[in-house]
Amino acid sequence: MSESALRIRGLRKAFPKVVAVAGVDLEVARGEVFGLLGPNGAGKTTTLEMIEGLTLPDAGEIEVLGRTWAREGKEIRARIGVQLQSTSLFNRITVREALDLYGTYYPKARTTADLLDLVQLNDKADAYHVTLSGGQQQRLALALALVNDPELVFLDEPTTGLDPQARRSLWDVVRRMKAEGRTVLLTTHYMEEAEALCDRLAIMDHGQVIAAGTPASLIAQLAIPSVVELTFDGDAPDPAAFAARLGGPVEQRADLWEIPTRDPKALLPRLLETAESEGVPYQQVHVRRATLEDVFLHQTGRSLRD
Amino acid sequence: MLMMIWRQFVMEWKLYLRDKGAMFWTFAFPVVMLLGFGIIFRGGGGPKLTVVYVQPAAQSTRDAALLKAMEEVQLKVLPLAPAEAEARWAHGETAAEVLPEGEGYRIRLNSYLMAQGGPTAGLVNQAWLLAQARLNGSPEPRRIPVSVESPGGKKASNYAAFLLPGLLGLNLLSIGLFSVGMVNVSYREKGKFRRLAVTPLPKWIFLLGQVLQRLTISLAQAVVLLIVGWLAFGIRNQGSYLDLVVVMTLGTACFMSFGFALSGFAETSETYAAIANLFFFPLMLLSGVYFTLDSAPHWLQRSVAFLPLSPFLSTLRAVFNDGAGLAGHGMGLLVVGAWALGAFLIAVRRFRWN
Repeated sequence: MSESALRIRGLRKAFPKVVAVAGVDLEVARGEVFGLLGPNGAGKTTTLEMIEGLTLPDAGEIEVLGRTWAREGKEIRARIGVQLQSTSLFNRITVREALDLYGTYYPKARTTADLLDLVQLNDKADAYHVTLSGGQQQRLALALALVNDPELVFLDEPTTGLDPQARRSLWDVVRRMKAEGRTVLLTTHYMEEAEALCDRLAIMDHGQVIAAGTPASLIAQLAIPSVVELTFDGDAPDPAAFAARLGGPVEQRADLWEIPTRDPKALLPRLLETAESEGVPYQQVHVRRATLEDVFLHQTGRSLRD
Repeated sequence: MLMMIWRQFVMEWKLYLRDKGAMFWTFAFPVVMLLGFGIIFRGGGGPKLTVVYVQPAAQSTRDAALLKAMEEVQLKVLPLAPAEAEARWAHGETAAEVLPEGEGYRIRLNSYLMAQGGPTAGLVNQAWLLAQARLNGSPEPRRIPVSVESPGGKKASNYAAFLLPGLLGLNLLSIGLFSVGMVNVSYREKGKFRRLAVTPLPKWIFLLGQVLQRLTISLAQAVVLLIVGWLAFGIRNQGSYLDLVVVMTLGTACFMSFGFALSGFAETSETYAAIANLFFFPLMLLSGVYFTLDSAPHWLQRSVAFLPLSPFLSTLRAVFNDGAGLAGHGMGLLVVGAWALGAFLIAVRRFRWN
């Protein structure tokens, strides 16, 4: 049981117009929640689909629960749980029927009552799939991914498109999976989700892993642990002149400027003075610790949701 | 294994029965067609042809004789005053009209409606010969006697009996193209196949469950149509039921494989719908579902004999309407079988889960 839940070496996949995955190495230990973080088109889903046996890699090795697709595909399928980016079911299948039916696909299955409890869909058990809200459909998709009591669970953007409340309720289910001792590999482009759920994560961009580690260690790796924000009423003005006077980088983002710094205490008086003399019409000043968002911005020069 | 196929089969049926709209249309459409056309063409000869008769200022004995003769040759005569007749003509509603002209008459035919106009003109002329003979006091012209029989020489049957096998074939074609082909494209497009692919369920079990369900739908449809045909028009299978089952099974295999094969050529439901209609409408219109093609050009008749629906329907009609055995229809069965096999091979080659 000490072996890794997942081991990937040199994974590559090119499509006719784009190299989706350009050499990815990953190792996920048993019992951890591992996040693949990155913007749309970073190669997260393609990576996941190769691991799930849906897409054949051009090159590289994949070992799932110590087994390989070529020789033990059927056994892998029986021991993993998968939530695809969008789970399409029949419109007029009820929640209970879907769980019962998928249960029959596996050698061993959890009871439907148990699964309904887990994802809190008891009162929707006899509703048609088509009548469920987005959050309920995602919870059903999670329950389907757990129907075979899997050791390793893959969740592809489980909370994309959900409202904040539905998102929290999904996080609870993921935490319960971890508490039950399952290994979880999830993709997301929400920084706060990665910080809230993941023991370790890998940041992907352009088909490659550009940074990996625990959320804290990734932030600690940043040379710049703090960020000063000047917020504006409406769009932020061009910071070029201000940056020149200040003598440091200023990021312009929607309605605010971000000024990364090692020493906010020393920066602040000088910054306010410069803003005053330049007549910068800022509204408020915030000082915050750097987040994964800043890690990503720092690594790629782009924001996550661009 | 059998249990898993059975579960898929039962679930497909449950889902089908819940889609009341789709179910209603798949069952009601052929029944409505059969009842509708069967009743309209009940007499066997179709509805009477209508001719507009433009009334002269004063009716002569000659006019009266022509009118009477036109009734006798089974024309539906619509006498109208010149202004009314002209208005009807201008609206394009008139296929044929008889106008008084000089010492006689003129027949005016609508160039768009020659299918009705042509035979109408023939009948008017026949009536005119009859009227002239009577006016001259000559003996009544003798007509060639007409007898109506079904081609196989069994009980004379009506248009509904001709139509019923056509609708059975059309059902198979539409189930194959739409319930099988279309559904598979949409499953692939929406990722239903992908969700199945990450489970240990062998995918052929899913497909087999689906195919068996479509098979039972087409069987149920056939039974419903046969019962309606029997109750409403007294149409019964004149041949052996074994032969009927053989032909229907071959046809089902052929058109389902056809749908499967086509589904391998489209990425999206929209593309598939376009491709499927490209096959559906010509096959429906050119294969003798509703009428025979005996007035179509020879090359067209020869060509459709190599498409799957036409030989299927002639064989089905031979068995069902004329009680013929399969021996004389080897060529037709061969063509349908070749399509079934070819489509199956293409389906297997082109089928994709992703």
